[in-house]
Amino acid sequence: MVLDLFKKFTTLWIILVVLAFFPIFTSTFDLPFWNDVVMRIMLLGMAAMGLNIVFGFGGMVSFGHAAFMGVGAYCAGISQYYGLDNGWYQLLMSAVSCGILGIMIGFLALRTSGIYFIMITLAFAQMLYFFFVSLEQFGGDDGLIMDRSDFIFIDLYEPLRLYYLIFFILAAVSIMLMLLIRSRFGVILQAIKSNESRVEAMGLNPLKFKLTGYVISAVICGLSGCLFASWQEFVSPDIMHWTRSGDLMIIIILGGLTYVAGPLVGAIVFLLLEELLPDLLHVVFPSIAENWMIIFGPLLIAVVLFGKGGLMGVVGNRFTRPAARKDQ
Amino acid sequence: MTLTLLLEQIFNGLQAGITLFLIAAGLTLILGIMDFVFLAHGSQVMIGAYAAAAITIATNNFYFGILAAIPITFVCGYLLEWLIIRHLYRRDHMDQVLATFGLILFFNEAIRIGFGPAALFTNFPSSLSGFIEILPDTPYPVYRILIILVGLLCALGIHLFVSRTRVGAMVRAGASNPEMTAALGINVKILFRFIFAAGATFAGLAGMMIGPLTSVEPGMGEPLLILSLVVIIIGGIGSVRGAFIAAILIGLVDTVGRVMLPMLFKTFMSVSTADTAGPALASMSVYILMAVVLVFKPTGLFPPKGA
Repeated sequence: MVLDLFKKFTTLWIILVVLAFFPIFTSTFDLPFWNDVVMRIMLLGMAAMGLNIVFGFGGMVSFGHAAFMGVGAYCAGISQYYGLDNGWYQLLMSAVSCGILGIMIGFLALRTSGIYFIMITLAFAQMLYFFFVSLEQFGGDDGLIMDRSDFIFIDLYEPLRLYYLIFFILAAVSIMLMLLIRSRFGVILQAIKSNESRVEAMGLNPLKFKLTGYVISAVICGLSGCLFASWQEFVSPDIMHWTRSGDLMIIIILGGLTYVAGPLVGAIVFLLLEELLPDLLHVVFPSIAENWMIIFGPLLIAVVLFGKGGLMGVVGNRFTRPAARKDQ
Repeated sequence: MTLTLLLEQIFNGLQAGITLFLIAAGLTLILGIMDFVFLAHGSQVMIGAYAAAAITIATNNFYFGILAAIPITFVCGYLLEWLIIRHLYRRDHMDQVLATFGLILFFNEAIRIGFGPAALFTNFPSSLSGFIEILPDTPYPVYRILIILVGLLCALGIHLFVSRTRVGAMVRAGASNPEMTAALGINVKILFRFIFAAGATFAGLAGMMIGPLTSVEPGMGEPLLILSLVVIIIGGIGSVRGAFIAAILIGLVDTVGRVMLPMLFKTFMSVSTADTAGPALASMSVYILMAVVLVFKPTGLFPPKGA
């Protein structure tokens, strides 16, 4: 079983091992800044992996998953505002709130499909965004400054504690996703993507499976958001701005949406480009170094036009295989 | 006092709604006929606003700025379709979202490089800066009235064009069944490009007209894009009539709510809480409206027949 998972998801395991030993690299070469970048990669990668359950495997284009990150972050922020700074409790709160919200939003949104689904998920995300903007007590537009949460026995202000906390949760989510995609549930979800009416004709209720997938992805985004709050030591509605939902989709498509590891690969590339493009431009065209997006935008268009299947697909199936090709 | 204020806000709402309609009219056809999720439509608004503002500043003539900017936006839309968009029609929605998101980034940065990150300010000529009494003791700016009139004129023009002309019939046919339309021997490629460029022009016109009222800055189109997507969804994708009704509705709800909700909240909340919560909840109400419509009518209020 374990060996099987290892063979099926080689890329994901390799990335996890590299992430586990990455701090050794940064401390050897004295590059502590890169720990910070990698933490961000892991957090956004985790959220994108969550979104990919519905997006890549379920074929539901949700344009509002940043909202769940935001709810997770505010669960941490508001709990701390009232003196509840136990991080484990905050993680639990984030999971429960995002689960309940996921059921409510998913139930209403899944009545629609296609473009209407994209737009209704965006609508709910915008509602939550403006809801948090309206909360003057918790900073409204300006947000809420907070301390890192108190994970009992783990002092997040000690070096690398936060890094490994994020890493272990990411690893747990990854392993869960590998099992999930290979399970009966995962196979049915992918079957719904390729032909919903056929699944229905087999006597299964597609809505049940789509909703379950939606809720699981919401919870994962919530966990990521909760940790994001500790990483940033700050919560504001900005975390759930609609452009972040766009970013998550970009990350997934960049990496390859039919692969469990795709979103993680996408997050690595996306955030490395964000860090390195300005430096690179500084060398070539110093006058527009701050406007790195003028390169990044056309790059995205090029990926869409020429790179089918994202980076995982382009790099080839020799090292990685689509997560559940046999099952499809 | 309150009645005057309410009337004024209703007019402001009408003006906002008409502006939204100009943006949404093209977008609803792009979504409906080409089944294309075009997120960079807000950039067309920005391009129109910048073209008009830059020419106005250079020539010091507002009317000339608008007249010169209209063909510029048309050409921009035409070139954009020819260069990039036409390669994306057959892709799925995800690819379209990603590529047009890339276009947004590109246009915003290009404008930032060309004009700097700060906002451009232009003023409409003094002949338009007066007030008209819409009711006794209720003055209202001429410029906003003008926007409403121009918008209504455009709406009438679009309506007559779509419902009375031969090309309009092709557009309607395309909205309900694109494959069948192509099978009947209509050159859909040219039709698509024309609709796209026309949609870009109307969006640009909206940008030109609201330029002097708001700030002309990079990224100004995105909030309008999201709102006009809401309009399109409520109205039913591909329906120009639906877009018009939904746009007026959204304009009124958003504008009137923004003023009235804080006043309402102040009766039972502290002033500062109401000032934060009111406008935000007014923005929220637009999305609540959309979610309610979609839950009861999953394809919007006026879905095109046969779609």
